[in-house]
Amino acid sequence: MSISTFTGLETALRGLMAQQQALDVTGQNITNASTPGYTRQRVTLATTPGLQIGPGLLLGTGVTVTGYQRMRDSFLDTQLRAQTMLQGSAQAAQDGLGQIEGVINEPSDSGLNSLLSQYWSAWQNVANSPQDMATRQALVEAATSLADGFNSVASQLSTIQAQTGQNVTLTLQQVNSSAQTLQSLNTAIANATAAGNTPNDLLDQRDLVLDDLAKLGNVSSVDNGNGTITVTFDGVTLADPTGAYTLSESGGTISNNMATPQTAAVSANAGTLGGLIALRDTTIPGYQTSLDGIAGALIAETNAVSVNGFGLDSVNNRPFFGGTDAATISVLATPTTIAASASAATLPGDNTNALAIAQLQNAGVASLAGATVDGAYAQLVTTIGSDSQAAQRRTSNAGVLVDSLSNRRDAISSVSLDEEMTNLVKYQRGYQAAARALSAMDDALNLLINRTGRVGL
Amino acid sequence: MDRVTNSMASRSVLADIENVYAQLTATQNELSSGKQLTKPSDNPYGTSRALAYRADLAANKQYQSNASEMGAWLSTTDTALSSINSDLGRVRDLILQGANGTLSPTELASISTELGQLADSIKSDANTQYAGSYVFSGSLTGTQPFAVGGADTYAGDSTAISRQLGQGVTMQVNVTGDTVVSPILAAIRQAQADLAAGGTPGNLGTVDLNAIDAAQATLVGQQAIVGARTNRVTLATSRLQQLEQAQSQQLSNTEDADIAQAMIDFSQQSAVYQAALRAGATLIQPTLMDYLHS
Repeated sequence: MSISTFTGLETALRGLMAQQQALDVTGQNITNASTPGYTRQRVTLATTPGLQIGPGLLLGTGVTVTGYQRMRDSFLDTQLRAQTMLQGSAQAAQDGLGQIEGVINEPSDSGLNSLLSQYWSAWQNVANSPQDMATRQALVEAATSLADGFNSVASQLSTIQAQTGQNVTLTLQQVNSSAQTLQSLNTAIANATAAGNTPNDLLDQRDLVLDDLAKLGNVSSVDNGNGTITVTFDGVTLADPTGAYTLSESGGTISNNMATPQTAAVSANAGTLGGLIALRDTTIPGYQTSLDGIAGALIAETNAVSVNGFGLDSVNNRPFFGGTDAATISVLATPTTIAASASAATLPGDNTNALAIAQLQNAGVASLAGATVDGAYAQLVTTIGSDSQAAQRRTSNAGVLVDSLSNRRDAISSVSLDEEMTNLVKYQRGYQAAARALSAMDDALNLLINRTGRVGL
Repeated sequence: MDRVTNSMASRSVLADIENVYAQLTATQNELSSGKQLTKPSDNPYGTSRALAYRADLAANKQYQSNASEMGAWLSTTDTALSSINSDLGRVRDLILQGANGTLSPTELASISTELGQLADSIKSDANTQYAGSYVFSGSLTGTQPFAVGGADTYAGDSTAISRQLGQGVTMQVNVTGDTVVSPILAAIRQAQADLAAGGTPGNLGTVDLNAIDAAQATLVGQQAIVGARTNRVTLATSRLQQLEQAQSQQLSNTEDADIAQAMIDFSQQSAVYQAALRAGATLIQPTLMDYLHS
């Protein structure tokens, strides 16, 4: 069987076209080298079916592009998203706890620890000279500073808690807006897939949305086979082939707006959202309870002794502090009413009661599990410090893992400019060579068409 | 071999530089603040120690201030008691003179007058004040215990005043006028009565002298107690000062930066930081493009 005169031209043309496409893909890779979420593409080349020109003789007919392969390992995506989620929750905890550390401001000369010391000292000074109005005034000032300190820490903790609640809402808005994006990408990818295309750029975009979502919560996706994916966020469906759902959160439980709404409890590890919810519902209330317990013990212990004593006006049965917790503690006593004396008959020099209150500094309190007021406060500060330090460590560990997994993913998916440069040279040379082959065919045909049959002319 | 791409190189370089820079900033912070503990998470355990040391230190300073107050109160008391004691010597001499039995009524009357003046002097010593408080009045520190030139009634009470000298340690600081001064006054008045009667010199030499001697014994006993309390205060003060030194040292060890160590860390980290910057700049800049010529 003979072969067509122009077979060689066709072969060279296929070469030109294939190299051209390879150059185009290289260009696409280079221009997108720093595009977030971009996955490098590789042209897959294959030989075209051979031509049977005789028994056992199969003539090659050139090259064709069979596809643009998206270089991605979905297993690494899953691993990376799991770590990103942990990083998100640790980061949220770290940020919140950092703020709380700023509020308690310890160790310093202006924190509650110092204010407590000044308060106890002021009682001893009153015990030293119970008849002196100046020392009594100083005690009222010291106690007021202490009460203000408790009030201020309590109100700032509440503010941080409220801000954390707002951040939860903002985070959910972000998640819900991602759901819309996922839905439109699902539709576009399904249409392209149905038309037989591989929409690499849309797939990149959808993976990027999932990467971003993973920082906010526990994201998982299931491929439905037709190009669409079903995405669940913290255990409830966020997007599926039929649409996107709006998530809402209440008391640490997340739910979507399906006909039959799905609900799930959000774990503290579940990304920014989980971290924020844990901070809002567990961590901060825990600190508030401790602080309230300390303030409450101070109020109760001081008042229990104060009511036994007499002020300079010979009146007894008056509490020193008002309020019941850190937010409400206030000073009721005035310099005259401070109950320093044990009886009206022994005024003004008797300091028995003032001494008894001063000695409360070293008295264990049953409601604080036997700790002193100062000791319980130091414990609270240590707890906050340990929690904050643990969150910092978790953030930094997760950061290292995220970096390492990102590197592993980049080793597969990201663009190496050196590699693309090499490819550029390779495909350009390939193009040049194919063109040269075409020229050679052309020369041969020229000889055949223009010179054949012109012997002797 | 794994591919190494430009984004990986940038990420590693950036992460390393950020890391070193964070360490450098932390060390710099430590150097400029002089503290290695600026927030609880820097060292939670250390923070709890620091808070305890700070509270101990504040309490210790207060105890020292209490001790110095008590010292001053006791020294005021002691001065007054010594002065009363020397007056008592003269009282005793006068009574012995009166007991002689050879004196004329005029002479006896002048002895009685001098005894009355000594009684007033003793009362005025008993009215000694410290920082506006009458030290012999018990808890009625605003009330003068004895009226000079008036009746001998003790106007104070017998309440003991205690102060805190240390954690869980309290000590009485006052001596009340009814235990020390009232018996003396009573003895003097009795002697005066016996002198006025003129005919009972026997009482002067026996009963009255014995009463004065008993009152003086009580006074000296109280003086000894005041002396012992002063010693306790002095000892406690020196112990508190030593403790303060130790507590300050421990607080400083916990809170303050080790400047020498921090300086060494700083220069090492600074060198590493510059090396990281240089290496990063050399690594990120060139690509194959710089070497291809078409």
